[in-house]
Amino acid sequence: MAQLARTIKRRLLHGDAAWAYAFIAIALLVYAMFTAYPVVSAFMISFQEYKPLGSTYVGFENYVNSFGDSLFWKSIRNTIVYTLLTVPVSLLLSFAVAILILPFKKRLQTAFKAVYYLPAVASGVAMSVVWLWIYDPLPSGLMNRLLDVFGIGNQNWLGSSATAMFSLVLMAWLSSHGTSIIIYLAALLGIDNSYYEAADLDGASFFQKLWHVVVPFLRPTTLFLLVTGVIGSFQVFQNAYLMTGGGPDNATTMVGLLIFNNAFKYFEYGEAAAQSLVLALIIAVISYFQFRFLGKDVEY
Amino acid sequence: MAKQSRVFASALALTLSISALAGCSSGGGNNNGNASQSPSGSASAPASSVASAAKDTITALLPPVSATYQDNFEQMAKDFNALYPNLTLKIEPASWEDMTQKLDTQVNAGSPPDIAFIPSASVSKYVQQGVLMDITDAATPEMVGDFETAPLEYMKNGTGLYGFPAYMEIHALGGNKQFLEEAGIDWKSVQKNGWTYDEFREAIKKGVVKDGNKTTRYGFVFANAGVASKDYLGILVKNAGMPSAFTKDLKYAYTSKNYLEVLKDVRQLIDDGSMPKELSSIDAGKRWNMFLTGQTMITGKGLATFENSANKNNEKLKANDGSAVEGSIPVDYIVLPVPSFLGQPAVSSPAVDGYVTFRGKKEPTPEHKANVVKAAYFLASGKVAAMTNNELFVAHITKSGKEAAASMTVNRNPDNAAAVEVLLSHAAPARPDIPPELGAKAIKLEDEVIVPKFQALLANEIKPEEMYEAVKSAAIKEFGQDGVVTD
Repeated sequence: MAQLARTIKRRLLHGDAAWAYAFIAIALLVYAMFTAYPVVSAFMISFQEYKPLGSTYVGFENYVNSFGDSLFWKSIRNTIVYTLLTVPVSLLLSFAVAILILPFKKRLQTAFKAVYYLPAVASGVAMSVVWLWIYDPLPSGLMNRLLDVFGIGNQNWLGSSATAMFSLVLMAWLSSHGTSIIIYLAALLGIDNSYYEAADLDGASFFQKLWHVVVPFLRPTTLFLLVTGVIGSFQVFQNAYLMTGGGPDNATTMVGLLIFNNAFKYFEYGEAAAQSLVLALIIAVISYFQFRFLGKDVEY
Repeated sequence: MAKQSRVFASALALTLSISALAGCSSGGGNNNGNASQSPSGSASAPASSVASAAKDTITALLPPVSATYQDNFEQMAKDFNALYPNLTLKIEPASWEDMTQKLDTQVNAGSPPDIAFIPSASVSKYVQQGVLMDITDAATPEMVGDFETAPLEYMKNGTGLYGFPAYMEIHALGGNKQFLEEAGIDWKSVQKNGWTYDEFREAIKKGVVKDGNKTTRYGFVFANAGVASKDYLGILVKNAGMPSAFTKDLKYAYTSKNYLEVLKDVRQLIDDGSMPKELSSIDAGKRWNMFLTGQTMITGKGLATFENSANKNNEKLKANDGSAVEGSIPVDYIVLPVPSFLGQPAVSSPAVDGYVTFRGKKEPTPEHKANVVKAAYFLASGKVAAMTNNELFVAHITKSGKEAAASMTVNRNPDNAAAVEVLLSHAAPARPDIPPELGAKAIKLEDEVIVPKFQALLANEIKPEEMYEAVKSAAIKEFGQDGVVTD
């Protein structure tokens, strides 16, 4: 037994394993400091009335207050609506663009990938400013001018409950597909040509090849993009904060924005932490069901 | 070779770890330590009486209060050091956008700056957090006596004084002189005597210009989107018998029937066609652009410094300078009061910003407290205040500032200066008696119910009565049936 322990100790300290642990330790340290610690800290704060110079323990009060707050539920509903409207359409658009780019030569593919990825590099704030200009509510606004061509009167895009959510959704549809396109394209290039050739021999049409060859092969990619897309969408904050501030009548108040307001506007860190953990739980449950029902045949 | 690579890789990894850790080190702090190292006087003695020549550093987080304010930081620090050779004023500049975030980050880390330039409206928020330093016992009678009483009151909460005010600016309206006169509005009389809602309504109707069905100029445009979302209603209700969200007996005021009447009037001005129906989406920048390009006769909110901005744009237009606002016309900016409602007296909305004093986790020593007060007073009075307030076109609120400004020239319309004096004479008084907890509840109610509902009202999605009922029920839920005004 002692011999075994000595052998393990020797391997740990003198073999390559020691170096491996050393390098892992660094990553672990960074993870512990910048991910695990904030999460544990948020968990503890969620049971406190937090104050910089001394907090007090309040039990489940922050959770009870959140569940009793109609705005919290409204923000959850808004976030779900936003997610349902943006994620599937964004995936479909990314997939369609990737399919359209696929037949091109590599250099042209790269050019298109760069063009579509450009919005991801640009500052989100700058993008929002451009969209604010596009959604100018007066007749001189770009979107309103466009509608005017079709004889439709000008719209108060971000100022009306009827159009504010749609405006944010449209913004999501028309920007930031770069990452998904690149991932889809990589997956498409990974499909062996022999499958297409076999389908050709069977006389399959373009859509039949798409449905019976491409879609099944891309299922792991789609699942990955769907899960990350839903997580990202549930955490959406910037667009609502910069474009509408959550209005009008809280029609675009997303849960991320509500958490931000509670924490940094009202200094109610306890309630914000509680709501963050509830949001994390919701995301975890949705991700579980996504893997459960859509990831049956997918292996990672 | 392999061994060398391992050692090199380890060194790199170690550097990475150390740099990551270094980012978390606490190098800040509000320098309480400096002062505590010096021989201190009696802890129980008032700080103002502590004469200490020990070296100390005072930190200040300051935004660009006026156009050239931040350019003068070096000179300010030098002048302060010349006045107090043992003291160093260390100024950290911040943009207006970053200011709150920077300050709140430092506050939550327990090491805020000694002084930060913030609106007096934020004082209660920080008092509730326990991070402000009460300087009542450290401010000398000479310092306190230098300030006008009304703005100084805004820096108080309960019995504590938490800094010195820099200025008291009135949120008014601004008119285009040419358009006002074309519409037959006696603006000089309005500046002196004010106007009622009905008079105002008729006046802005006359300011509307149409080209067929299309409105080319509105009578009145007020910014309502983004940071300006609270301003419009907040300014109007002060002139309808509700100078504060709470009555003197601390009952929530916006459940009064007068509130409903103001909401009806707000809707009426849009339905008249005097204001754009897209009002809820018009932000501060947009409405100023509309004003300079002649798309509205009156705009709000109007700050004194807008006269300066309009004058500068006029000069650019005259000089054919390409940086003038595109499509703008020469504008003579006229300060106008907000109309009064329902026979209630006019009460103007003051914005008091100033140098607020913070404390860190450690209890500040009396010496340090006295030094912070010296720095806050230095910034809020005398030459610094004179230069800043002149640049902003705002009235001086310290005797020393007025004296220092006497030799400085300001290109300002004397009618506007006189109008502002009238407005200052009936500015809403400060309410340091409102407990921070009650104030915080009112702010949250405003953000979560009033502003969203008001946006819906402006967009014609709900009726004034619906908004009133929503505010009333939220207020009763928050403050109780006995905690709100019932009339």
